[in-house]
Amino acid sequence: MSAAVEIRRLTKVYAHKRVLDRVDLRVEEGSVFGFLGPNGAGKTTTLRILTGLARPTKGTVRVLGHDVATVDNAVRAEIGFLPDVPGFYEWMTAGEFLRFAGGLFGIERRVLDPRIEVLLDLAGLTDVTTRVGGYSRGMKQRLGVAQALINAPRLLLLDEPTSALDPMGRKEVLDMLQSLRGRTTVFFSTHILGDVERICDTVAILDHGRVVAQARIEELKARYGAGKVVVEVGEGADGLAEAIGAAAWAAKVERDPTGTIEITVSDAEAASREIPAMVAARNLPLRRMEAGEMGLEEVFVQLVGGGQS
Amino acid sequence: MNGFAAFARKEATEIVRTWRIWVLPGMLLFFALTGPVMARFTPEIVAAAGGDQLAGLVKSLPTPTYLDSYAQWAKNLSQIALFAIIIIYGGLVSGERKSGTAILALTKPVSRSAFVVAKAVVHSLFLALTVIAGTLATWGVTALVFGKAPGEALWSSALSWLAFGVLFLAIMTLLSSLMGSQAGAAGVGLGAFALLSIAALWEPLAKYSPVGLASAPMTLAMGKESAILWPVVTSLALACVLVATAAWAFRTKEL
Repeated sequence: MSAAVEIRRLTKVYAHKRVLDRVDLRVEEGSVFGFLGPNGAGKTTTLRILTGLARPTKGTVRVLGHDVATVDNAVRAEIGFLPDVPGFYEWMTAGEFLRFAGGLFGIERRVLDPRIEVLLDLAGLTDVTTRVGGYSRGMKQRLGVAQALINAPRLLLLDEPTSALDPMGRKEVLDMLQSLRGRTTVFFSTHILGDVERICDTVAILDHGRVVAQARIEELKARYGAGKVVVEVGEGADGLAEAIGAAAWAAKVERDPTGTIEITVSDAEAASREIPAMVAARNLPLRRMEAGEMGLEEVFVQLVGGGQS
Repeated sequence: MNGFAAFARKEATEIVRTWRIWVLPGMLLFFALTGPVMARFTPEIVAAAGGDQLAGLVKSLPTPTYLDSYAQWAKNLSQIALFAIIIIYGGLVSGERKSGTAILALTKPVSRSAFVVAKAVVHSLFLALTVIAGTLATWGVTALVFGKAPGEALWSSALSWLAFGVLFLAIMTLLSSLMGSQAGAAGVGLGAFALLSIAALWEPLAKYSPVGLASAPMTLAMGKESAILWPVVTSLALACVLVATAAWAFRTKEL
Protein backbone atom coordinates (compact mmCIF):
# COMPACT_ATOMS: atom_id res chain seq x y z
CA MET A 1 0.00 0.00 0.00
CA SER A 2 1.38 3.45 -0.86
CA ALA A 3 1.74 6.25 1.64
CA ALA A 4 -0.49 9.34 1.44
CA VAL A 5 1.70 11.08 3.99
CA GLU A 6 5.30 10.21 4.73
CA ILE A 7 7.22 12.29 7.24
CA ARG A 8 10.84 11.60 8.07
CA ARG A 9 12.88 13.18 10.86
CA LEU A 10 10.71 16.32 10.75
CA THR A 11 11.97 19.03 13.05
CA LYS A 12 10.50 22.50 13.42
CA VAL A 13 12.11 25.18 15.53
CA TYR A 14 10.46 28.54 16.28
CA ALA A 15 12.64 31.14 17.99
CA HIS A 16 14.83 28.49 19.65
CA LYS A 17 11.78 26.45 20.70
CA ARG A 18 11.70 22.93 19.25
CA VAL A 19 8.03 22.45 18.38
CA LEU A 20 8.56 19.22 16.43
CA ASP A 21 11.44 16.92 17.18
CA ARG A 22 12.46 14.30 14.60
CA VAL A 23 8.90 13.24 13.85
CA ASP A 24 8.43 10.11 11.73
CA LEU A 25 4.97 9.31 10.40
CA ARG A 26 3.50 7.17 7.67
CA VAL A 27 -0.16 7.31 6.74
CA GLU A 28 -1.39 4.70 4.29
CA GLU A 29 -3.56 5.79 1.40
CA GLY A 30 -7.25 5.16 2.03
CA SER A 31 -6.95 4.99 5.81
CA VAL A 32 -8.60 7.11 8.48
CA PHE A 33 -5.73 8.36 10.60
CA GLY A 34 -6.09 9.94 14.03
CA PHE A 35 -3.38 12.34 15.12
CA LEU A 36 -3.68 12.58 18.87
CA GLY A 37 -1.92 14.80 21.31
CA PRO A 38 -2.43 17.23 24.15
CA ASN A 39 -2.71 20.96 23.44
CA GLY A 40 0.65 22.36 22.37
CA ALA A 41 2.03 18.96 21.33
CA GLY A 42 2.71 20.14 17.76
CA LYS A 43 -0.34 18.78 15.89
CA THR A 44 -1.29 22.08 14.23
CA THR A 45 2.33 22.79 13.29
CA THR A 46 2.52 19.38 11.60
CA LEU A 47 -0.65 20.13 9.63
CA ARG A 48 0.65 23.59 8.66
CA ILE A 49 3.78 21.97 7.26
CA LEU A 50 1.76 19.32 5.42
CA THR A 51 -0.31 22.04 3.74
CA GLY A 52 2.69 24.21 2.84
CA LEU A 53 1.74 27.05 5.19
CA ALA A 54 4.96 26.51 7.14
CA ARG A 55 8.31 25.02 6.23
CA PRO A 56 10.26 22.30 8.01
CA THR A 57 13.48 23.28 9.79
CA LYS A 58 14.82 19.80 9.03
CA GLY A 59 13.50 16.56 7.62
CA THR A 60 11.38 15.61 4.63
CA VAL A 61 7.64 15.65 4.16
CA ARG A 62 6.01 13.86 1.26
CA VAL A 63 2.31 14.28 0.56
CA LEU A 64 0.73 12.01 -2.08
CA GLY A 65 4.21 11.30 -3.37
CA HIS A 66 5.24 14.94 -3.70
CA ASP A 67 7.89 16.63 -1.59
CA VAL A 68 6.04 19.62 -0.09
CA ALA A 69 9.25 21.65 -0.06
CA THR A 70 9.52 21.63 -3.84
CA VAL A 71 5.96 21.53 -5.15
CA ASP A 72 3.14 23.93 -4.58
CA ASN A 73 -0.11 23.71 -6.44
CA ALA A 74 0.39 20.08 -7.52
CA VAL A 75 -0.15 19.00 -3.92
CA ARG A 76 -2.77 21.56 -3.00
CA ALA A 77 -4.96 20.55 -5.94
CA GLU A 78 -5.34 17.10 -4.39
CA ILE A 79 -5.85 17.94 -0.74
CA GLY A 80 -8.69 19.37 1.31
CA PHE A 81 -7.87 21.25 4.50
CA LEU A 82 -9.86 22.45 7.47
CA PRO A 83 -7.93 24.54 10.01
CA ASP A 84 -8.86 24.46 13.71
CA VAL A 85 -10.60 27.85 13.51
CA PRO A 86 -11.64 28.35 9.86
CA GLY A 87 -11.71 31.98 8.73
CA PHE A 88 -14.40 32.77 6.18
CA TYR A 89 -15.27 35.92 4.26
CA GLU A 90 -18.13 36.93 6.48
CA TRP A 91 -19.97 38.80 3.73
CA MET A 92 -20.41 35.61 1.70
CA THR A 93 -23.16 33.01 2.05
CA ALA A 94 -22.20 29.34 2.41
CA GLY A 95 -23.00 28.68 -1.26
CA GLU A 96 -20.91 31.65 -2.37
CA PHE A 97 -17.94 30.49 -0.32
CA LEU A 98 -18.14 26.99 -1.80
CA ARG A 99 -18.34 28.51 -5.28
CA PHE A 100 -15.30 30.67 -4.53
CA ALA A 101 -13.39 27.65 -3.20
CA GLY A 102 -14.35 25.62 -6.29
CA GLY A 103 -13.21 28.51 -8.49
CA LEU A 104 -9.75 28.41 -6.92
CA PHE A 105 -9.53 24.75 -7.97
CA GLY A 106 -10.71 25.65 -11.45
CA ILE A 107 -13.70 23.26 -11.21
CA GLU A 108 -16.11 23.61 -14.13
CA ARG A 109 -19.56 24.97 -13.37
CA ARG A 110 -21.41 21.84 -14.53
CA VAL A 111 -19.44 19.81 -11.97
CA LEU A 112 -19.39 22.49 -9.30
CA ASP A 113 -23.10 23.29 -9.13
CA PRO A 114 -24.34 19.80 -8.16
CA ARG A 115 -21.35 19.31 -5.85
CA ILE A 116 -22.20 22.52 -3.98
CA GLU A 117 -25.76 21.28 -3.53
CA VAL A 118 -24.59 17.97 -2.10
CA LEU A 119 -22.07 19.61 0.23
CA LEU A 120 -24.54 22.22 1.49
CA ASP A 121 -26.91 19.38 2.25
CA LEU A 122 -24.15 17.44 3.99
CA ALA A 123 -23.31 20.50 6.10
CA GLY A 124 -26.98 21.09 6.91
CA LEU A 125 -26.80 24.56 5.38
CA THR A 126 -29.05 24.18 2.34
CA ASP A 127 -31.78 26.47 3.63
CA VAL A 128 -29.50 28.91 5.41
CA THR A 129 -29.51 32.15 3.42
CA THR A 130 -27.75 34.39 5.96
CA ARG A 131 -24.14 35.44 5.54
CA VAL A 132 -21.35 33.46 7.17
CA GLY A 133 -20.72 36.34 9.59
CA GLY A 134 -23.92 35.40 11.39
CA TYR A 135 -23.10 31.69 11.75
CA SER A 136 -22.49 29.85 15.01
CA ARG A 137 -19.10 28.16 15.50
CA GLY A 138 -20.68 24.80 14.75
CA MET A 139 -22.15 26.04 11.47
CA LYS A 140 -18.77 27.46 10.48
CA GLN A 141 -17.11 24.16 11.32
CA ARG A 142 -19.59 22.23 9.16
CA LEU A 143 -19.07 24.68 6.31
CA GLY A 144 -15.34 24.21 6.87
CA VAL A 145 -15.67 20.46 6.35
CA ALA A 146 -17.80 21.07 3.23
CA GLN A 147 -15.26 23.46 1.67
CA ALA A 148 -12.48 20.96 2.37
CA LEU A 149 -14.37 18.42 0.25
CA ILE A 150 -15.13 20.75 -2.69
CA ASN A 151 -12.36 19.26 -4.86
CA ALA A 152 -13.14 15.63 -3.93
CA PRO A 153 -9.65 15.43 -2.38
CA ARG A 154 -7.40 12.37 -2.28
CA LEU A 155 -6.20 13.51 1.14
CA LEU A 156 -8.37 15.29 3.67
CA LEU A 157 -6.46 17.11 6.43
CA LEU A 158 -8.57 18.24 9.36
CA ASP A 159 -7.39 20.09 12.44
CA GLU A 160 -9.73 19.43 15.40
CA PRO A 161 -12.80 19.07 13.14
CA THR A 162 -15.28 18.13 15.86
CA SER A 163 -14.17 20.30 18.76
CA ALA A 164 -16.81 23.00 18.19
CA LEU A 165 -19.70 20.70 17.40
CA ASP A 166 -22.64 19.56 19.51
CA PRO A 167 -23.19 15.77 19.86
CA MET A 168 -25.45 15.60 16.78
CA GLY A 169 -23.10 17.69 14.65
CA ARG A 170 -20.16 15.62 15.82
CA LYS A 171 -21.92 12.37 14.94
CA GLU A 172 -22.75 13.69 11.48
CA VAL A 173 -19.16 14.75 10.81
CA LEU A 174 -17.74 11.47 12.11
CA ASP A 175 -20.23 9.46 10.02
CA MET A 176 -19.25 11.50 7.01
CA LEU A 177 -15.53 10.91 7.61
CA GLN A 178 -16.17 7.22 8.10
CA SER A 179 -18.04 7.09 4.81
CA LEU A 180 -14.89 8.36 3.06
CA ARG A 181 -12.86 5.34 4.18
CA GLY A 182 -11.17 3.62 1.27
CA ARG A 183 -11.88 6.51 -1.13
CA THR A 184 -10.05 9.36 0.56
CA THR A 185 -7.27 9.33 3.09
CA VAL A 186 -8.46 11.16 6.19
CA PHE A 187 -5.85 12.64 8.52
CA PHE A 188 -7.34 14.37 11.49
CA SER A 189 -5.87 15.83 14.60
CA THR A 190 -7.84 15.82 17.80
CA HIS A 191 -7.65 15.54 21.54
CA ILE A 192 -11.07 13.83 21.67
CA LEU A 193 -10.18 10.19 22.14
CA GLY A 194 -13.72 8.92 21.62
CA ASP A 195 -13.73 10.27 18.06
CA VAL A 196 -10.50 8.49 17.26
CA GLU A 197 -11.63 5.22 18.76
CA ARG A 198 -14.84 5.42 16.81
CA ILE A 199 -13.57 5.90 13.28
CA CYS A 200 -9.80 5.58 12.99
CA ASP A 201 -7.84 2.57 11.76
CA THR A 202 -4.49 3.94 12.79
CA VAL A 203 -3.40 6.46 15.34
CA ALA A 204 -0.27 8.38 16.26
CA ILE A 205 0.24 10.06 19.59
CA LEU A 206 2.30 13.22 19.68
CA ASP A 207 3.71 14.64 22.89
CA HIS A 208 6.05 17.62 23.23
CA GLY A 209 6.81 17.47 19.53
CA ARG A 210 7.66 13.76 19.48
CA VAL A 211 5.69 10.80 18.22
CA VAL A 212 5.45 8.54 21.25
CA ALA A 213 3.38 5.85 19.54
CA GLN A 214 2.04 4.99 16.10
CA ALA A 215 0.10 1.83 15.38
CA ARG A 216 -3.28 0.42 14.51
CA ILE A 217 -5.63 1.08 17.42
CA GLU A 218 -6.06 -2.59 18.39
CA GLU A 219 -2.31 -3.07 18.27
CA LEU A 220 -1.75 -0.05 20.48
CA LYS A 221 -4.30 -1.18 23.04
CA ALA A 222 -2.86 -4.67 23.09
CA ARG A 223 0.70 -3.36 23.40
CA TYR A 224 -0.08 -1.20 26.38
CA GLY A 225 -2.78 -3.55 27.65
CA ALA A 226 0.05 -5.96 28.57
CA GLY A 227 0.52 -3.69 31.54
CA LYS A 228 -2.90 -4.61 32.86
CA VAL A 229 -4.07 -7.81 34.55
CA VAL A 230 -7.66 -8.79 35.32
CA VAL A 231 -8.27 -11.26 38.13
CA GLU A 232 -11.68 -12.70 39.11
CA VAL A 233 -12.23 -14.62 42.32
CA GLY A 234 -15.48 -15.88 43.76
CA GLU A 235 -15.10 -14.45 47.23
CA GLY A 236 -12.54 -12.71 49.41
CA ALA A 237 -11.75 -10.22 46.65
CA ASP A 238 -11.34 -7.32 49.09
CA GLY A 239 -8.49 -8.95 51.03
CA LEU A 240 -6.80 -10.10 47.83
CA ALA A 241 -7.04 -6.61 46.32
CA GLU A 242 -5.48 -5.17 49.45
CA ALA A 243 -2.60 -7.66 49.31
CA ILE A 244 -2.02 -7.02 45.59
CA GLY A 245 -2.09 -3.26 46.20
CA ALA A 246 0.80 -3.65 48.62
CA ALA A 247 2.98 -5.39 46.00
CA ALA A 248 5.78 -3.34 44.47
CA TRP A 249 4.71 -4.13 40.88
CA ALA A 250 1.08 -2.96 41.37
CA ALA A 251 0.71 0.61 40.15
CA LYS A 252 -3.07 0.77 40.52
CA VAL A 253 -5.74 -1.63 41.75
CA GLU A 254 -9.44 -1.27 40.96
CA ARG A 255 -12.32 -3.44 42.18
CA ASP A 256 -15.81 -3.91 40.95
CA PRO A 257 -18.75 -5.39 42.92
CA THR A 258 -18.69 -8.72 41.01
CA GLY A 259 -15.32 -9.67 42.47
CA THR A 260 -13.22 -8.63 39.50
CA ILE A 261 -9.91 -6.92 40.29
CA GLU A 262 -8.19 -4.86 37.60
CA ILE A 263 -4.51 -4.23 38.24
CA THR A 264 -2.21 -1.89 36.35
CA VAL A 265 1.20 -3.45 36.70
CA SER A 266 4.72 -2.18 36.24
CA ASP A 267 6.24 -5.68 36.01
CA ALA A 268 3.95 -8.12 34.21
CA GLU A 269 6.19 -11.14 34.83
CA ALA A 270 6.38 -10.63 38.57
CA ALA A 271 2.62 -10.12 38.67
CA SER A 272 1.92 -13.34 36.73
CA ARG A 273 4.13 -15.28 39.17
CA GLU A 274 2.90 -13.74 42.40
CA ILE A 275 -0.85 -13.27 41.86
CA PRO A 276 -1.67 -17.05 41.63
CA ALA A 277 0.45 -17.58 44.76
CA MET A 278 -1.51 -14.88 46.60
CA VAL A 279 -4.82 -16.45 45.52
CA ALA A 280 -3.65 -19.93 46.60
CA ALA A 281 -2.38 -18.63 49.95
CA ARG A 282 -5.87 -17.32 50.70
CA ASN A 283 -7.46 -20.49 49.39
CA LEU A 284 -9.68 -18.54 47.02
CA PRO A 285 -11.29 -19.98 43.85
CA LEU A 286 -9.50 -18.39 40.88
CA ARG A 287 -12.11 -18.00 38.13
CA ARG A 288 -10.18 -15.83 35.70
CA MET A 289 -6.75 -14.30 35.29
CA GLU A 290 -5.89 -12.61 31.99
CA ALA A 291 -4.20 -9.66 30.38
CA GLY A 292 -6.58 -6.72 30.40
CA GLU A 293 -7.29 -4.32 27.58
CA MET A 294 -6.53 -0.68 28.01
CA GLY A 295 -8.85 1.94 26.59
CA LEU A 296 -7.27 4.44 24.22
CA GLU A 297 -7.70 7.06 26.89
CA GLU A 298 -5.61 5.08 29.33
CA VAL A 299 -2.95 4.47 26.69
CA PHE A 300 -2.95 8.16 25.92
CA VAL A 301 -2.69 9.21 29.57
CA GLN A 302 0.06 6.68 30.15
CA LEU A 303 2.05 7.87 27.15
CA VAL A 304 1.74 11.61 27.62
CA GLY A 305 2.09 11.51 31.38
CA GLY A 306 -1.49 12.36 32.31
CA GLY A 307 -0.68 15.99 32.83
CA GLN A 308 -2.87 17.22 30.00
CA SER A 309 -5.81 16.05 27.97
CA MET B 1 -0.33 32.66 -11.42
CA ASN B 2 -2.89 30.05 -10.50
CA GLY B 3 -6.23 31.15 -9.16
CA PHE B 4 -5.66 34.79 -10.14
CA ALA B 5 -9.02 35.27 -11.87
CA ALA B 6 -11.04 33.58 -9.12
CA PHE B 7 -9.30 35.53 -6.42
CA ALA B 8 -9.54 38.84 -8.31
CA ARG B 9 -13.27 38.20 -8.72
CA LYS B 10 -13.55 37.69 -4.96
CA GLU B 11 -11.69 40.97 -4.31
CA ALA B 12 -13.97 42.90 -6.66
CA THR B 13 -17.11 41.39 -5.13
CA GLU B 14 -15.79 42.15 -1.65
CA ILE B 15 -15.43 45.83 -2.56
CA VAL B 16 -19.03 46.00 -3.75
CA ARG B 17 -20.47 44.00 -0.82
CA THR B 18 -18.64 45.58 2.14
CA TRP B 19 -17.78 48.99 3.67
CA ARG B 20 -15.15 49.47 0.98
CA ILE B 21 -17.73 50.65 -1.56
CA TRP B 22 -18.83 53.46 0.77
CA VAL B 23 -15.73 54.83 2.45
CA LEU B 24 -13.30 56.00 -0.26
CA PRO B 25 -15.91 56.70 -3.00
CA GLY B 26 -18.22 58.39 -0.47
CA MET B 27 -15.44 60.59 0.81
CA LEU B 28 -14.17 61.55 -2.64
CA LEU B 29 -17.64 62.15 -4.03
CA PHE B 30 -18.46 64.42 -1.11
CA PHE B 31 -15.38 66.56 -1.74
CA ALA B 32 -15.92 66.41 -5.50
CA LEU B 33 -19.41 67.88 -5.12
CA THR B 34 -18.73 70.42 -2.38
CA GLY B 35 -15.26 71.58 -3.53
CA PRO B 36 -16.41 73.71 -6.50
CA VAL B 37 -19.18 75.31 -4.42
CA MET B 38 -16.71 76.09 -1.63
CA ALA B 39 -14.27 77.56 -4.15
CA ARG B 40 -16.93 79.73 -5.78
CA PHE B 41 -18.36 81.10 -2.54
CA THR B 42 -15.20 81.36 -0.42
CA PRO B 43 -15.26 85.21 -0.36
CA GLU B 44 -18.93 85.23 0.68
CA ILE B 45 -18.30 82.53 3.34
CA VAL B 46 -15.31 84.44 4.75
CA ALA B 47 -17.32 87.71 4.77
CA ALA B 48 -20.29 86.05 6.50
CA ALA B 49 -18.09 84.39 9.08
CA GLY B 50 -15.77 87.34 9.80
CA GLY B 51 -18.17 90.29 9.47
CA ASP B 52 -16.52 93.73 9.40
CA GLN B 53 -13.28 92.40 10.89
CA LEU B 54 -12.37 90.54 7.71
CA ALA B 55 -13.81 93.07 5.25
CA GLY B 56 -10.32 94.12 4.12
CA LEU B 57 -9.25 90.53 3.59
CA VAL B 58 -12.38 89.75 1.60
CA LYS B 59 -11.80 92.73 -0.69
CA SER B 60 -8.22 91.60 -1.31
CA LEU B 61 -9.30 88.11 -2.37
CA PRO B 62 -9.21 87.62 -6.14
CA THR B 63 -12.47 86.67 -7.85
CA PRO B 64 -12.66 82.86 -7.76
CA THR B 65 -12.31 81.00 -11.07
CA TYR B 66 -12.76 77.41 -12.18
CA LEU B 67 -9.03 76.92 -11.47
CA ASP B 68 -9.71 77.45 -7.76
CA SER B 69 -12.21 74.63 -7.94
CA TYR B 70 -9.64 72.39 -9.64
CA ALA B 71 -7.01 73.32 -7.05
CA GLN B 72 -9.46 72.40 -4.32
CA TRP B 73 -9.91 68.95 -5.88
CA ALA B 74 -6.15 68.48 -6.30
CA LYS B 75 -5.60 69.46 -2.66
CA ASN B 76 -8.25 67.02 -1.45
CA LEU B 77 -6.70 64.20 -3.50
CA SER B 78 -3.15 64.99 -2.36
CA GLN B 79 -4.06 65.10 1.30
CA ILE B 80 -7.33 63.48 2.35
CA ALA B 81 -7.49 60.78 -0.35
CA LEU B 82 -3.84 59.85 0.12
CA PHE B 83 -4.19 59.56 3.90
CA ALA B 84 -7.33 57.46 3.38
CA ILE B 85 -5.39 55.10 1.06
CA ILE B 86 -2.60 54.77 3.61
CA ILE B 87 -4.99 53.96 6.44
CA ILE B 88 -7.46 51.75 4.54
CA TYR B 89 -4.83 49.65 2.77
CA GLY B 90 -2.54 49.19 5.79
CA GLY B 91 -4.32 45.85 6.32
CA LEU B 92 -4.76 44.80 2.69
CA VAL B 93 -2.76 41.58 3.10
CA SER B 94 -2.25 41.35 6.87
CA GLY B 95 -6.02 41.57 7.46
CA GLU B 96 -6.52 38.27 5.66
CA ARG B 97 -3.71 36.66 7.62
CA LYS B 98 -5.20 37.86 10.89
CA SER B 99 -8.75 36.72 10.11
CA GLY B 100 -7.62 33.29 8.90
CA THR B 101 -9.17 33.73 5.45
CA ALA B 102 -5.72 33.64 3.83
CA ILE B 103 -5.17 30.12 5.19
CA LEU B 104 -8.35 28.76 3.63
CA ALA B 105 -7.55 30.36 0.28
CA LEU B 106 -3.83 29.57 0.19
CA THR B 107 -4.25 25.86 0.94
CA LYS B 108 -6.03 25.70 -2.41
CA PRO B 109 -4.28 26.03 -5.77
CA VAL B 110 -3.93 29.81 -5.68
CA SER B 111 -0.35 31.00 -5.53
CA ARG B 112 0.72 33.55 -2.97
CA SER B 113 1.87 35.82 -5.80
CA ALA B 114 -1.61 35.68 -7.34
CA PHE B 115 -3.09 36.47 -3.92
CA VAL B 116 -1.01 39.65 -3.54
CA VAL B 117 -1.05 40.79 -7.18
CA ALA B 118 -4.82 40.29 -7.51
CA LYS B 119 -5.36 42.54 -4.51
CA ALA B 120 -3.04 45.26 -5.84
CA VAL B 121 -4.54 45.17 -9.34
CA VAL B 122 -8.21 45.13 -8.29
CA HIS B 123 -7.78 47.91 -5.74
CA SER B 124 -5.77 50.04 -8.21
CA LEU B 125 -8.65 49.70 -10.68
CA PHE B 126 -11.11 50.57 -7.92
CA LEU B 127 -9.04 53.65 -7.05
CA ALA B 128 -8.90 54.65 -10.72
CA LEU B 129 -12.68 54.34 -11.13
CA THR B 130 -13.25 56.28 -7.91
CA VAL B 131 -10.90 59.11 -8.94
CA ILE B 132 -12.39 59.26 -12.45
CA ALA B 133 -15.94 59.39 -11.01
CA GLY B 134 -14.93 62.09 -8.54
CA THR B 135 -13.17 64.12 -11.22
CA LEU B 136 -16.20 63.88 -13.50
CA ALA B 137 -18.39 65.07 -10.62
CA THR B 138 -16.16 67.99 -9.74
CA TRP B 139 -15.87 68.89 -13.45
CA GLY B 140 -19.66 68.95 -13.83
CA VAL B 141 -20.29 70.99 -10.67
CA THR B 142 -17.48 73.40 -11.63
CA ALA B 143 -19.16 73.96 -15.00
CA LEU B 144 -22.43 74.63 -13.20
CA VAL B 145 -21.17 77.13 -10.64
CA PHE B 146 -18.51 78.87 -12.74
CA GLY B 147 -20.18 78.70 -16.13
CA LYS B 148 -17.08 77.26 -17.78
CA ALA B 149 -14.76 74.35 -17.04
CA PRO B 150 -12.02 73.53 -19.56
CA GLY B 151 -10.91 69.96 -18.96
CA GLU B 152 -7.15 69.88 -19.54
CA ALA B 153 -5.91 71.31 -16.23
CA LEU B 154 -8.35 69.23 -14.21
CA TRP B 155 -7.71 65.90 -15.94
CA SER B 156 -3.94 66.25 -16.20
CA SER B 157 -3.91 67.04 -12.49
CA ALA B 158 -6.24 64.18 -11.47
CA LEU B 159 -4.59 61.54 -13.67
CA SER B 160 -1.09 62.46 -12.57
CA TRP B 161 -2.28 62.17 -8.96
CA LEU B 162 -3.79 58.80 -9.81
CA ALA B 163 -0.29 57.52 -10.64
CA PHE B 164 0.82 58.79 -7.21
CA GLY B 165 -2.19 57.11 -5.57
CA VAL B 166 -1.37 53.80 -7.29
CA LEU B 167 2.22 54.13 -6.07
CA PHE B 168 1.00 54.55 -2.50
CA LEU B 169 -1.36 51.63 -2.86
CA ALA B 170 1.64 49.54 -3.92
CA ILE B 171 3.64 50.86 -0.94
CA MET B 172 0.80 49.81 1.37
CA THR B 173 0.56 46.40 -0.34
CA LEU B 174 4.24 45.82 0.45
CA LEU B 175 3.96 47.13 4.01
CA SER B 176 0.89 45.02 4.76
CA SER B 177 2.70 41.96 3.39
CA LEU B 178 5.68 42.61 5.63
CA MET B 179 3.92 43.77 8.79
CA GLY B 180 1.20 42.11 10.83
CA SER B 181 -0.31 45.33 12.15
CA GLN B 182 -2.53 47.60 10.06
CA ALA B 183 -1.79 50.56 12.33
CA GLY B 184 1.95 49.89 12.09
CA ALA B 185 1.85 49.73 8.30
CA ALA B 186 -0.22 52.93 8.17
CA GLY B 187 2.32 54.67 10.41
CA VAL B 188 5.20 53.68 8.13
CA GLY B 189 3.10 54.71 5.11
CA LEU B 190 2.58 58.18 6.57
CA GLY B 191 6.32 58.36 7.21
CA ALA B 192 6.96 57.49 3.55
CA PHE B 193 4.57 60.27 2.50
CA ALA B 194 6.38 62.78 4.70
CA LEU B 195 9.75 61.73 3.24
CA LEU B 196 8.49 62.01 -0.35
CA SER B 197 7.04 65.46 0.36
CA ILE B 198 10.39 66.67 1.73
CA ALA B 199 12.31 65.04 -1.11
CA ALA B 200 10.05 66.89 -3.60
CA LEU B 201 11.78 70.14 -2.56
CA TRP B 202 14.92 69.03 -4.42
CA GLU B 203 14.11 69.94 -7.99
CA PRO B 204 16.29 67.44 -9.95
CA LEU B 205 14.78 64.59 -7.95
CA ALA B 206 11.26 65.96 -8.39
CA LYS B 207 11.78 66.21 -12.14
CA TYR B 208 12.85 62.61 -12.75
CA SER B 209 11.30 60.54 -9.99
CA PRO B 210 7.93 59.79 -8.33
CA VAL B 211 8.50 62.52 -5.73
CA GLY B 212 7.59 65.07 -8.39
CA LEU B 213 3.99 63.90 -8.07
CA ALA B 214 3.80 65.21 -4.51
CA SER B 215 3.33 68.76 -5.88
CA ALA B 216 2.71 68.40 -9.65
CA PRO B 217 -1.07 67.74 -9.45
CA MET B 218 -1.59 71.04 -7.61
CA THR B 219 0.59 72.93 -10.09
CA LEU B 220 -1.33 71.47 -13.03
CA ALA B 221 -4.70 72.17 -11.40
CA MET B 222 -3.74 75.83 -11.12
CA GLY B 223 -3.31 75.91 -14.89
CA LYS B 224 0.51 76.00 -14.81
CA GLU B 225 2.96 73.80 -16.68
CA SER B 226 4.64 70.86 -14.97
CA ALA B 227 6.73 68.13 -16.56
CA ILE B 228 5.10 64.96 -15.35
CA LEU B 229 6.16 62.31 -17.86
CA TRP B 230 9.14 61.04 -15.84
CA PRO B 231 7.40 61.23 -12.46
CA VAL B 232 4.36 59.32 -13.83
CA VAL B 233 6.42 56.67 -15.64
CA THR B 234 8.78 56.12 -12.69
CA SER B 235 5.83 56.01 -10.25
CA LEU B 236 4.07 53.28 -12.20
CA ALA B 237 7.31 51.35 -12.69
CA LEU B 238 8.13 51.61 -8.99
CA ALA B 239 4.58 50.50 -8.13
CA CYS B 240 5.13 47.32 -10.20
CA VAL B 241 8.45 46.67 -8.45
CA LEU B 242 6.87 47.19 -5.02
CA VAL B 243 4.01 44.79 -5.75
CA ALA B 244 6.47 42.18 -7.06
CA THR B 245 8.51 42.64 -3.87
CA ALA B 246 5.34 42.29 -1.78
CA ALA B 247 4.54 39.01 -3.58
CA TRP B 248 8.07 37.74 -2.95
CA ALA B 249 7.94 38.78 0.72
CA PHE B 250 4.57 37.07 1.17
CA ARG B 251 5.86 33.89 -0.48
CA THR B 252 8.69 33.67 2.04
CA LYS B 253 6.39 34.12 5.06
CA GLU B 254 4.96 31.27 7.13
CA LEU B 255 1.25 31.51 7.80
